Amino acid sequence: MRIKFGSASLSTVVLLLISLIMLFPFLLMIVTSLKTMGEIQSPTFSFIPKKWLFENYALAMSRGDWLRYFYNSFVVSAITVIFSLIFNSMAGYAFARLRFPGRNVLFFSVLIGIMVPPQTTMIPTFLMMKLFPFVGGNNWQGAGGFGFINSYMGLVLPFIAGSFGIFMCRQYFLNFPRALDEAAQIDGASIYRIFFQIYLPLSKPILATLAIFKATSTWNDYMWPLIMTNTEKMRTVQLGLTIFRSETTVEWNLLMAATTLVVLPLVLLFLAAQKYFVQGIVTTGLK
Amino acid sequence: MHTPNARPKRSGAPIDYAGYVLIAPGYIVYFAFLFVPLLIGMYYSFTDYNFYAKPEFVGLHNYTRLLHDELFGRAVYNTFIYSLFSILPQMALGLLLAVLLNGKIAGRVFARASIYVPNVTSMVAVSMIWLWIYDPSLGILNRLLRTFGLDPVQWLYDPGTAMGAIIAMSIWKSLGYTMIVYLAGLQSIPSSLYEAARVDGASRIRQFFAITIPMLKPTTFFILVMSCINSFMVFEQVNILTNGGPLNSTTTIVHQIYLRGFQDFQMGYASAMAMVLFLITLLITILNFRLGNQGNDLDAD
Repeated sequence: MRIKFGSASLSTVVLLLISLIMLFPFLLMIVTSLKTMGEIQSPTFSFIPKKWLFENYALAMSRGDWLRYFYNSFVVSAITVIFSLIFNSMAGYAFARLRFPGRNVLFFSVLIGIMVPPQTTMIPTFLMMKLFPFVGGNNWQGAGGFGFINSYMGLVLPFIAGSFGIFMCRQYFLNFPRALDEAAQIDGASIYRIFFQIYLPLSKPILATLAIFKATSTWNDYMWPLIMTNTEKMRTVQLGLTIFRSETTVEWNLLMAATTLVVLPLVLLFLAAQKYFVQGIVTTGLK
Repeated sequence: MHTPNARPKRSGAPIDYAGYVLIAPGYIVYFAFLFVPLLIGMYYSFTDYNFYAKPEFVGLHNYTRLLHDELFGRAVYNTFIYSLFSILPQMALGLLLAVLLNGKIAGRVFARASIYVPNVTSMVAVSMIWLWIYDPSLGILNRLLRTFGLDPVQWLYDPGTAMGAIIAMSIWKSLGYTMIVYLAGLQSIPSSLYEAARVDGASRIRQFFAITIPMLKPTTFFILVMSCINSFMVFEQVNILTNGGPLNSTTTIVHQIYLRGFQDFQMGYASAMAMVLFLITLLITILNFRLGNQGNDLDAD
């Protein structure tokens, strides 16, 4: 007994040590965000700030139009989440439950997408958005204007449906009891009614999982906003951070304060909904 | 699937036309932003296209140019090095942590969350934090070295250490992902196997190698495929931490695509690079499937 107890508490110590190592960069970020530049540059190092400068956060947010960046990131994430929930769940349901010619071929073509990361198609996708006819001052040939460059549409459109979302929803709906559909069909309910009134209300777990997956990837995305936007007005929080850094002398305390604020929404979301984060990873790959 | 009353295949079964309607919005978007760009990209890769004039067909010129482009060769090499040295430690450490966290040890919920948090943080934010850690004069790493009387290292500014620094950060960031997937895999191993092994007097280490590792084969295979695809796309941390330098020691394939395409506006040439990248990913995925599927079928259910 004693030996077992001893090894269990040793494991706990090891676990806490690992946790500390993993969290250390975040702790460093937070303490740095509260220091003065003088303290950061001083030759003697102390981990805990001598004076806690909470006003660093307000100061950091005044460097650039951060309210606008947060607003942009929030709007883009919200629109992406809403549309991807609707589109992916509809397609997932059809692939899981309905019978129609070509279903398997279509589904196979959806699976192929997992092997085509967006980085391999970023140039043609960018050109498609830029040359989109009749938007952003473009004529029917897609010339003359900017297309979807610097627009929410350009940031959202490519991401509102995709392999992972469709696949995730399909896997979830496959495990629904068929008796549900059959009972509803006997009552004369149409397929659309069965989906919207029976399936959707029962799929909160998968919708939450997908919403979190999409919100995280959109909020955190850097490459696509980097390519699609070039005005301050359309900048997202991730771009805001990189601009901060490229200024002549890096004010580490302010940069770390801004980083903390950019990281915070997702960390809070993660702490509140850990279960769904884990679910997303597990259902996309493993059964 | 699991339903015993799954409908038998009948040739005269009614067709659910609603299926097309429900699939249409999602599939059209998917098709328009996956297959269409792939085809357009393929076409551009055979053209000279500077974004302002019309694309001009040049045949295989972009591809022959790629063969002689030393910078691109360097980028391919760097991408392979990055992938190899980030995937292997990440998988080994992830498995180790998962095994450690699988038991009912006090503090495991906290540990699991701490290990996973870097993974929900954006690559940009993570890069900012590590830029600070690696800072040559004020960063904590060099402060630590100095207190031990060692010479400071120019982490991101030294061609010898820059790639290693990027890899270390990337392992830290994605370790949680590997751990979570391995944890899910561990939980699907029936405990009766371990009980039987214990009755036979097999040691914990023996159990790990005789039961855990073989039973986790599908999980390992899945992680390997996903990590390969992901690591071949490495770009964000490179663009932020080093911008490919010093002396091109950290430039990667996607970084080259970005520079050629969006800074030099050589859209045709950059498209050829993207095609090569696509083919490499495809090849590695196929190779993984070949190796991973030897003897047993992946999709057991």
